[in-house]
Order: sequence, then C-alpha cells, then structure tokens
Amino acid sequence: MNEFIAQFLVECRELVTQATDDLLALEEQGDDRERLDSAFRAFHTLKGAAGIVDFDAMGRALHAAEDVLAAVRSNAGQVTPQLIGDGLTCLDQVSQWLDAMQVDGEIPSGADAQADAVVRRFGQTIEAPGPKPATGAAAALHWAGDLQRRHADLGAQARAALRYAPAAEAFFRNEDPLATLAELPGLLVLEIEPPPSQPLETFDPFVCQLVFTALFSVEAGILQDLLAGKTGAEAVALSAGPDSGLPPVARNLIEAQRLLLADSNAEPTAGRTGSALRVAANVLQSLGRVEEAEKLGAIGRDGASAALEAILEGRFEGASTPGAVTTRSSHEATPRALRVDVERIDALVNLAGELTVAKNALGHAAALAISGGDPTALGALLKDQHAQLTRLVAALQRSVLNIRVLPLRTVFQRFPRLVREMVVTLGKPARLVTEGEDTEADKAVVESLFEPLLHVLRNALDHGVESADARVAAGKAPSATIHLRALRQGDRVIVEVEDDGGGIDIANVRRVALEREVATAAVLADMPDGEVADLIFAPGFSTAAEVTSLSGRGVGMDAVRIAVERMGGRVTLHSQPGVGTTVRFSLPFTVMMSAVMTVEAGGQMFGIPLEAIEQTLRLPRDRISLIGAAQAFVLRDRTVPLIDLAHSLGRGGGRDEAASANIVVTRSAGQWAGLEVDRVGDRMDVMLKPLEGLLAGMNGIAGTTLLGDGRVLLILDLQALLS
Amino acid sequence: MSVRLTDDGRVELHGACPSADAETLLAYLSEAKRTVDWRTCDTAHAAVVQVLVVSRAELLGPPLGAFLRQFVEPALKAQ
Repeated sequence: MNEFIAQFLVECRELVTQATDDLLALEEQGDDRERLDSAFRAFHTLKGAAGIVDFDAMGRALHAAEDVLAAVRSNAGQVTPQLIGDGLTCLDQVSQWLDAMQVDGEIPSGADAQADAVVRRFGQTIEAPGPKPATGAAAALHWAGDLQRRHADLGAQARAALRYAPAAEAFFRNEDPLATLAELPGLLVLEIEPPPSQPLETFDPFVCQLVFTALFSVEAGILQDLLAGKTGAEAVALSAGPDSGLPPVARNLIEAQRLLLADSNAEPTAGRTGSALRVAANVLQSLGRVEEAEKLGAIGRDGASAALEAILEGRFEGASTPGAVTTRSSHEATPRALRVDVERIDALVNLAGELTVAKNALGHAAALAISGGDPTALGALLKDQHAQLTRLVAALQRSVLNIRVLPLRTVFQRFPRLVREMVVTLGKPARLVTEGEDTEADKAVVESLFEPLLHVLRNALDHGVESADARVAAGKAPSATIHLRALRQGDRVIVEVEDDGGGIDIANVRRVALEREVATAAVLADMPDGEVADLIFAPGFSTAAEVTSLSGRGVGMDAVRIAVERMGGRVTLHSQPGVGTTVRFSLPFTVMMSAVMTVEAGGQMFGIPLEAIEQTLRLPRDRISLIGAAQAFVLRDRTVPLIDLAHSLGRGGGRDEAASANIVVTRSAGQWAGLEVDRVGDRMDVMLKPLEGLLAGMNGIAGTTLLGDGRVLLILDLQALLS
Repeated sequence: MSVRLTDDGRVELHGACPSADAETLLAYLSEAKRTVDWRTCDTAHAAVVQVLVVSRAELLGPPLGAFLRQFVEPALKAQ
C-alpha cells in the first residue's frame, strides 16, 4: 500500500473516533458548543482527507453531514437524535470504506451508491424543519462568489479566494497583515473592505479593522498551509475553468472519452461512440446528475463529441450546476496527540520490567545492610546496582525521547507541491530533489521546520536561481535543481537547502547593506566576504532589485534565523559565485535535551545553552571600557557589550573590583555579548522544563532543570536577555 | 522620518512606513483635508493603509513599491 494511503487511513480512523465521541457527547448535552465545533472540524477534516486521495464518494457523504452540522452551528438547526443517528451512520459507512481500503489500498467499488444513501439521509434531515436556512458553507461562498464575479475578467486564472480579517489586536502583536498578503504566492487582485465610517478624531489607528479579500492563482490548500496559525484567514477553492461542476476525477474520465471520439485516425463507429457516451453517462449518474446522464444516453452518434465538450464546459443542456465552490477553511485546531510506533511502546514496557527487577535487587541490598552484612560486599553490591540503574535510566530516557521522534518526511513532503507553484509563479524552471527524508528528529523540531524551510526555498528560487536564459549563457542546464536534504550528524540533525544558482553577489550585499543601514561603511570595509553574506539574515535586508510577491521584502531570512535559533539550532550559509548557495540548519536531535554550560552569578547557578557560547575568558578590569552607563570590551577587533549577569537578573551583589572579570562570550541571533559571571562551571546535558506557574512570566529564563544535588538550574534565554 | 508634512500642506509617505507612522498620519489628516503623496513610498504597514482607507484622503500616486502599486493602490481606488 502506498504510504499516502496508509497515512490517510491512520488519520481518518483517528478523526472518525473523534467525531463519534463528539456526536455521542452532543447527544447527551445538546448545547455543548465545543463538542459541536469539534465534531464539525472532524467531519470537515475527514472530507478534506477524502479529497486528497480523490475519494469523491466519501467526500460527498461527509459534505452532507458537514452541511447539517454547519446549520446547527449557525443556530439554524437543532441537534436531534435523528441528526446524531445519521451522523453516526455516516461515520460507520466511512469506517467500512476504510476497512476495505486497508486490504488493498484501493477505493472500494460501490462506494458511490453507498454515499448516495448517506446523502439521502441527510437530505431529509435538512428539509424537515421549515424553510431551508442558509448554511455556513453557503454564507462563506457568498463573498467568494461576489468577489469572483467582480473580477470576472480574471476568469479561470483565479483558483482560490481569500478572506482575511486580522484580529483587532494584530498590530499590537507586531503583525503586518499587508506584509503577510504580500508574501503569498499568486496574488491576482486585492480588495479592502472599509471599516464602518467613523470620525477621524475618535479613530484608533492601532486597532485593526481591515478586512481583505483577494483572488489567487494558486490552490487554496497552499494558502491554507501558508496562513496556518493566522487568525481570521479563510481560503476557499474556486472550481477551475468555466465551471463544469465536475470533480477532477470525473472531469478526467469524461475528457478521456472526448479524446477517444476526437481521434481522427479512427472511424467513429457506433460501438465506440456508444461506449464513450455510456462511460460519461455513468460518471454523471454517479455524481447524482441523473437528468443529464439520461439526456446523454439519448444522444445519437453525431452529437456525441459536442455533447461531451458541452459537459466539460458546463453548458450541457439541462445542466443544473451544483455549488461552484467548495470551502475548506484554514487552520483547524488539531487535538494534541502523537502517533507512536508499537515497537517503541514495547521497548518502554520491557524497560519498566527491568527497572522493577533493579528495584527488587535494591530491596535485597537494603535488607542486607539492616541485618549487618559485610560492608565491603554490600558496597560492591550497591555499586553494581547503581551501574545497572544508570544503564536503565539512560535507556529509559532514550526510549522516551524516541517516542517524540518523527521522520522529516512529514515536513519535506509538503514542499514539492509548493515549489511547483512557486516555479509557475516565477517562471524560472526548477526542480526540487529531496534526500534523507527518513532522518528523524524530535517532533517539536520537525514541526517547527516548515516555515523556515519554506522561506529558504522561496529565497533560493526567487533570488538564488537565475532565469533560464542566464543559466544557459553561464553554461548550466536551463532548469535549476534545488536539493533539500537531511542527515544525522552525531546528536545534531542537519537540514540543507542547496541551489545551483548564481550564488550570493557579495558586492551587491555590501552595497545594499550600506544603503539600508544594516551596517556602517567602516564595519563593512573590515568585514570578510563570508560575514558579508551572513548579512542577508539581518532584519530588513533584501537584495532583490524588485520586491516580488514571492519573497516579500526580505523579512524571510531574518525570520529563518530566529526560528532556527529558537529550536536551539544554527543557520550557516555557504555561497560560491556562479555555482550556488547552500543554507544549512544544524538542529538538535531533540529540543528537550540541551547541552548547557553552568555559571554562577550572584550566588545562583545558571545554565547557558552551549550552542550560543563562543568562548570564555578572564579579562583584567582595565580592558573593560565604560560607554555611558554600559560596559564593553574589545575582542578580536570587535566591540562586545558586557552584561553583568547577576545585575541584569536583579541579583546584585558585591564584586571584587580588583580581580579580573570572568566572561562568557555568547552569540545569539548574530548578536555578540559578554556575560560577566562569578564562576564558570561544567558542561552538562540537561532536560529542559519550560517555566510554569508563577515563573512563567520571568524574562530572560528559558526553562529550568534539576541539578544532582536538588538545586534548580535556571537556563538563560539569551535572546530575551539581550533584547 | 517616513511620514512628513511638506511646506505646501501635503503629507508625504516615504520609504518603508512602519505601523508607528499610522498615528502621525492620522494626526495630520485629522487637522485638515490634506492630499497624501506616496510616490516615494516603498512599503506601508497595514496600520498606515488603514488610516488611508478610513480618512479617504486624496492620494497622489502611484506609490514606489511594487506591491503597493500593483495591489494596494487599486484596492484603495476601488472604494
């Protein structure tokens, strides 16, 4: 079975369980809003999943259920036992289909008729209570349809519509909805709905009241992916072409029949025409378009080809086009669950068994000690058992962390489609080659990788890769190749994006850095080329001569570095003029284990993430200069600000002004800083616990861990501390 | 300064206009009916554009930035 289907089955089973639970809870308490929303989401996501594997019948059945739930959500309907019953029947049907697919991975035959039965059930439920209310889906289509009509000139180009109503406090959260829009690929037209008219004197410019609507030439799914996490964004797919109202599979089938008839080498025999028409009629029948199917059956040999064409273009006589648009709202809140391989659980069970044995052995040793056994033998026994426990605990730790491990495939597999879209938008031919998808990393790392990688890929395509002509002129293949690869290096996971484009134009970076005041002329003059290239990660930097809709305004690379460092990783850049650019993320295998160096300041132990430490040094006080109220020192021709750690964390204390200063030199987000500490301790691996409760609001601290002697070690968050 | 008042009473948006410019812009536009010249404006934060929408100020364009020129200006004109 292909992996896609396997994933589909696992996901769907979870969703069916979720939906069933929610429906049952709803039956108990009809007005439980949360359960209703959750059930709706589950049905909705199931429908989306069905669409992904082209299982149209399943999509249809779920769509019917979803419509009824949407009506309840918009207070136009009620939760009745019948509705619950119908919903459960629908889920049962879905389960049966999933069982059938589990066997051979094929969409079960006869699913269409079964779906019809489910749809009919819901049809009755909808019609029963009085006048038919506008469902949520219908309301959503309203704006999309209007927008599409106003820009009819865009025609089939428009494939998705977006309505984006950012939260009122969006500006406070430092969001720029316009920048978000500018970064989306394939924007065709933008409309801004004016806020209600109000006197300027009382208008608060920092409350976002804007609502944007826009049409895009890319698929709605892509917008949904890119807007995941943005509140108020809803992307809707517009059906392609002069709407035929046909799902892709049906379209392809009918198109195939048309081509069969259009084949000029073959005489259109009655048999050939008849069979083509029969297939097309069956397709229509299966979609519930019975009337058209019957009409098609009555068409003679002469009109066959024209009739098929008419169906494809949605102008077949008697065609009652169903909803032109299908909604798929973005960002569902996914329940926090983790799929774990049974083997990994088994390993844990085994370990639990071994630990029990070790515990019993300790009991034996304790009894021996109480009864006054030979101390030397007892010591040896205890030592032995301690070694045993050490091994087991280490194994346990490994196993537990392994549970959170996912292959990078889960994030890599989203890119080929996105890159394809970007290629179309930019008109530069390129292909994406992914390698090492099986490399594993902690779930948190894998899940946070999507956005930074997307930015890097976008930049590679937009700025790195040359146009086809320029490539040919440089003696390269016209189509660029971008490698996305992952590999494991010790306890680090390396993820690289390598393009074979023109490399970074260092001279240009220098020029732009100066222009945009990213660095001063004096600093730039002394900067080696490698560091200059690194400037593209500086905030507000963009080397694109023209701002494109794809890479936006150069906020991308800055965001990349922040995102990667937040995971405890590092970004490096390697560029060779004319040969290409490689952006390399070095990430921790797991975010839970971090290597730290302990330091003591103001009588308290702190941990500093090891990856942020450049070096430690002792500096005579006369080499520290006062700059205003701040301190700084010079290290390798670089002025580094010095922060008194105890002081900055509110733990002032006397300091021996005569002695030289212990300094830990750190680099975070490209920013160098020296932290003055009382003592530098050891390096250790710790399991980081995020701050909770009263400590949660504490600035400058990333988390805590317990030391062997029971003391709490506070792990510093350098980015917060330095900002 | 990315937003400023010219000698002849126009408001000029220049370069990249951050969200903080929204307040200044609003203050200028509340004082009197003014034309906003954004021909040298490269990018504008949504908060700035929102003030333009709400104030319905007359705009002197086209703006410099491609995104503003291609998408935002037509959207403002359509109102």
